[in-house]
Amino acid sequence: MTKKIVSYYPGCSSQASAVHLDTSLRAVMPKLGVEFKEVQDWNCCGASVGHIAGGHVPMAALSGRNLANAKTDGTSDFVTPCAACYLNSHYTNEKIRDNAKVRDEVNEALGVAGKSYDGSLNVRHICEVIVNDVGMDAVKAQVKNPLTGLKVAGYIGCQTVRPFARTERGGMWDTYDDPTFLNDFISATGATAVPYTKKTSCCGGSVSVMSPEKTLHLIKDIVGEAQEQGADVIATPCPLCQTNVEMYQTALNQKYGTNFNIPVVFYSQLFAVAFGMDPKKDAALHQHLISADPVLARAK
Amino acid sequence: MTHASPTPTKKYDLNFARWVYENVDGGDRMALCMQCGTCSGSCPVGQQMDYGPRKLFMMIRAGLKEEVLKSNTLWNCVSCYNCVVRCPRKVPVTYILHDLATVAVREGYAEAKESDNSRFAKAFWWSAAKYGRTDERLVTALYYFSFGMGEGYKRGMANMPIAMGMVKTKRMHLGMPHKCKNTGELKKILAKAAEIEARSHAGGAGNANPAGGTAGHDK
Amino acid sequence: MSERKTGVYLCSGCGIGEAVNVATLEGVAKSEFRMEPKTHACLCGDEGVGMIKADIDAGVNQVIVAACSARVMTDRFAFEPHLTIRADLREKVIWSHPAGDEDTQMLAEDYLRMALSQAPKVTAPEPWVDGDYSQRICVLGGGVTGLTAAKEAAALGHDVLLIERSDRLGGHALGASKRLPHRPPYDSPEPNDVDALVAAVKAESRIVVKMSVTVTKTAGMPGKFAVTLSDGSVEDVGAIVIATGWRPYDATKLGHLGYGASPDVVTNVEFEAMLKAGRPQRKSSGQPVKSVAFVQCAGSRDPNHLPYCSNVCCATSLKQALELIQADPLTNCYVIYEEMRTPGVAEELYRAAQKAGVIFIKGKVKGVGADLTVTVADELVQADIPLQGLDMVVLATGMVPNSTNPDAAAEEYGADLLKGDVDPEAPIKVAGYCGSEPGAHERREQAIPPGGPLLNLQYRQGPHLPVLHDGFADSHYICFPYETRRTGIYTCGPVRRPMDWAEAAEDAQGAVLKAVQAVRSAAAGAALHPRVGDLSFPKINYNQCTKCRRCTVECPFGAIDENAEQYPQVNATRCRRCGTCMGACPVRTISFDNYSVEMLTTQIKSVKIPDEFSGKPRILVIACENDAVPSLDMAGIKRNSWSAHVRVLPVRCLGSVSLLCVSDALSVGYDGVMLMGCKPGDDYQCHFVKGSAMAAERLSKIGETLKSMMLEPERVVQVEASIADADRLPKVIDEFVDRIMGIGFNPFKGF
Repeated sequence: MTKKIVSYYPGCSSQASAVHLDTSLRAVMPKLGVEFKEVQDWNCCGASVGHIAGGHVPMAALSGRNLANAKTDGTSDFVTPCAACYLNSHYTNEKIRDNAKVRDEVNEALGVAGKSYDGSLNVRHICEVIVNDVGMDAVKAQVKNPLTGLKVAGYIGCQTVRPFARTERGGMWDTYDDPTFLNDFISATGATAVPYTKKTSCCGGSVSVMSPEKTLHLIKDIVGEAQEQGADVIATPCPLCQTNVEMYQTALNQKYGTNFNIPVVFYSQLFAVAFGMDPKKDAALHQHLISADPVLARAK
Repeated sequence: MTHASPTPTKKYDLNFARWVYENVDGGDRMALCMQCGTCSGSCPVGQQMDYGPRKLFMMIRAGLKEEVLKSNTLWNCVSCYNCVVRCPRKVPVTYILHDLATVAVREGYAEAKESDNSRFAKAFWWSAAKYGRTDERLVTALYYFSFGMGEGYKRGMANMPIAMGMVKTKRMHLGMPHKCKNTGELKKILAKAAEIEARSHAGGAGNANPAGGTAGHDK
Repeated sequence: MSERKTGVYLCSGCGIGEAVNVATLEGVAKSEFRMEPKTHACLCGDEGVGMIKADIDAGVNQVIVAACSARVMTDRFAFEPHLTIRADLREKVIWSHPAGDEDTQMLAEDYLRMALSQAPKVTAPEPWVDGDYSQRICVLGGGVTGLTAAKEAAALGHDVLLIERSDRLGGHALGASKRLPHRPPYDSPEPNDVDALVAAVKAESRIVVKMSVTVTKTAGMPGKFAVTLSDGSVEDVGAIVIATGWRPYDATKLGHLGYGASPDVVTNVEFEAMLKAGRPQRKSSGQPVKSVAFVQCAGSRDPNHLPYCSNVCCATSLKQALELIQADPLTNCYVIYEEMRTPGVAEELYRAAQKAGVIFIKGKVKGVGADLTVTVADELVQADIPLQGLDMVVLATGMVPNSTNPDAAAEEYGADLLKGDVDPEAPIKVAGYCGSEPGAHERREQAIPPGGPLLNLQYRQGPHLPVLHDGFADSHYICFPYETRRTGIYTCGPVRRPMDWAEAAEDAQGAVLKAVQAVRSAAAGAALHPRVGDLSFPKINYNQCTKCRRCTVECPFGAIDENAEQYPQVNATRCRRCGTCMGACPVRTISFDNYSVEMLTTQIKSVKIPDEFSGKPRILVIACENDAVPSLDMAGIKRNSWSAHVRVLPVRCLGSVSLLCVSDALSVGYDGVMLMGCKPGDDYQCHFVKGSAMAAERLSKIGETLKSMMLEPERVVQVEASIADADRLPKVIDEFVDRIMGIGFNPFKGF
């Protein structure tokens, strides 16, 4: 297997609510031939609210600094597992490359620290790297412990595919409304992807964090269909989706009288278990508010 | 000092619409909106908005600036980007809503400044700028207490089970905030960026944002 | 003609031989018709065709082929100048009915009888050719459409007479600042290039231009028209292309939109002239125009004014707004619309206007004040919104077709005929309807543009060209757009439907090709669309004619005049060979060499009618060969099945069906008769325009006849069939058969 070295931008959630995504990715990606070189001294991307308080140029400067730091690593790919980080970094990267005014402004700001950036990296989502560079055959080749019989609802959410799944340089990998990559991942582990129409519905994103009363009904539909389809577990690539869909199930039960208790895991945790790796050290399956028992039961 | 958007003096006064076309991220494509309503129909929270994106865009053309910048449409957007990828005229709706939100805050609309998003953004930016990282504990706490001590305590207590769960599963830590090594450098960069930002708003109408930005849509 | 010698050929290929007993079919020909049939396993192959050709060499001069549908293998079974009669044993028998079945066998035998029985009744047609024919093409109207038509006709090698009523060539285009885009990328107004077109026409030696003249009289027929002009000259032409264009809607009727309230409320035509003259200025103050509202559909799509959409007003307003913005980017342009209609590439202009900052307001104008405040019921913002500070209001008015001559007074004679001698919107009354009944047409007053006839045709049916209800020349938009109801006279450009410059030029090319076909076919005595090349024509037996004039009134194309003795006189090159005259004639005096009432009734009577104790009804389906028969063929190709008790009799058009055919069928014992043809009405699909409407009209009178025969009127119906009805028609037929069985057998059986 050829090794591929990429710059890895974990994003802030890797330090907290989505630490289990980071842990499991660092465990499984080397097995898939992808070696991470963590972006030096990376900072926050600004997520989906930064522009309101910060403004456009500071917002672009945040991603600009990350990209400038990564550029010194000598890789060509800037890879992130987080939907919001992917969106902001990709957007800023394209702007810096294509728009002289933005490029000048960002570089003027970076200049005070002696840094600069020209937009030449490819900003990529790690799932896209798995689809386009690794391939499903390589994933299947690592499966030593097929998750046979495990029924999984593949929930992708929004920003992993929208609005960049059909763009150049880190796009061109799936569709906006009916993406298939996650079901391919699930099938590769030997598990069964249940039919799931809510796969790209919105969980409310940061609005769910700040004003859950506005968006709880969205999460109810997302968990509800997974339950109706008999899913043992929901799998997702998105850190915020994982948190929102998991942590509000108790609130949903209180508000709507439902009996939700479906664990929400990352695809990378399924990989780790299917690859026969350690359920705690590698898959970080102990870090769930709703215990991921159906997956743990299949771990070796 | 920032340069404010012009206020229309009569219906369908085009000064505000033209300002939006030139100064809002993706605004140049907004001129192409043909009012089909695909955006509003695709919106997961359209029902909770004062006006759907389609109507909001028409109101901008009609010169209804106050109603636009006070509307909760700007705050209820969940950034799902359905409208962006579905718009037949490739209008980057989400980007426009985001940027109109910053305009509303910058121009001091009370409805904007007191919105959940504005409070949350303030807390979020504080953390990002100070530490270079988002500390979910501090951001959440700051956000809760922005509503006042009593409300902050109430919200904090209501979410305590979740917080405890996060701590227990080691997804929330109890020590010092995570941060960049070189926060000084970051602060310098952000200060300079803020200066450039202010300069562009003070620079008069036009060109605060680059024309031709297709806001990350299909190229 | 020499003695008739008929050869009969059966094909047993394509499964015919396996599905039916061919030996029995041969027996029918031998015993009932004393003919010696030959059977081949692949009649359309070289060997089969060679066998027929050898017989023709040996003296056979009429060929009967019992094989596949008459619509296929036409080239293989064409043995001109000899006539070929076809019996369809494949599509309508073995592909649509069970193999080896007794009823299928009877069906095949009856279709063979229908073919064999008509043999003595038909001969190969001899064309009507008489003297000299003009190949010159007359073009009426010197605007973009007419200029293009003249240029194209000359390029095809024909002499052209171009007639223009004004003293200048160019028409409305002369007043246009710029033209709508017609070249990629279609997003910007393009220069007015009409001067080049005028120069090209003037330079063409084949074109004779006559200006400041109108047509005072037109007599004759295709190939032999005599056109009298207002300067007293008489010109011989072979065909006429009408390119008289349009006139703007009368804006003085638009007081509710502010026209007349202020000099700064203008029409799009007036505004175009202002643009052509330079930067538009307020008429009231002379200040340059900085803020303009364009009011779309001003008097259009409005039942009180023009009920239709004029197709180009939206694009024209976009063009005018873009011209203003190109002169001054800060001009405020508002387009107030109910629906923007930018067909085809005009969508690019729409996008360009949006990009340029034109504001589109969806809603209705509630009022325009003298200070130019336009109040709009804004549908998108959902409020009544006043637009203030405007410098000018432009009313986008529509096009009125010049299907009449505005310079001439409307004449009494023929004015009623202008609306069509059978009201196209009259509700169709028939004895009973099978399948879905046609919805009652909402009748509206016909809007005929004021004026006299364009050509003043010296025709029995009047001087006018028939028009549709909105005043546009009658033609079928989709299937035969240039054909008027006067053969050899073609319309193009906005006189037939609203269209822009580029479309009009394309239209002119189409109409000219039709005119060329007309003059060339006329000289050969051959028919035009849809029976292209048919050499037969109606012949009238004056010994029996009662001068009832039904034929001269009912002909959809005005082909039959009356002579000095009031006898009908056929103008052969005007005739389209539908046979509506033949169906109209109460005493069967009109016939074609290869098509007659006698031929049809002979076929009807040749079918063996079983007695009622057999339990086998017989239903006659008289089917139009334009859409109904092909649709049934397709049903067979799709292996759709219908009752084997049905006998299909193809006809040229339902208009050619005499009521005598229906009463004859009932008197010999058929249990029901279905007329299957194209959709009549104002949105007709009839290939002869009025044929199916005439059939319906006649059928509405059959009720009394049936009652006098003590028969139920429900035994006779007319149904609409379209080319796409292959799945529907079998069901419609079976439903009718069931209904007839419910009524019971015809008591005339066996008499």
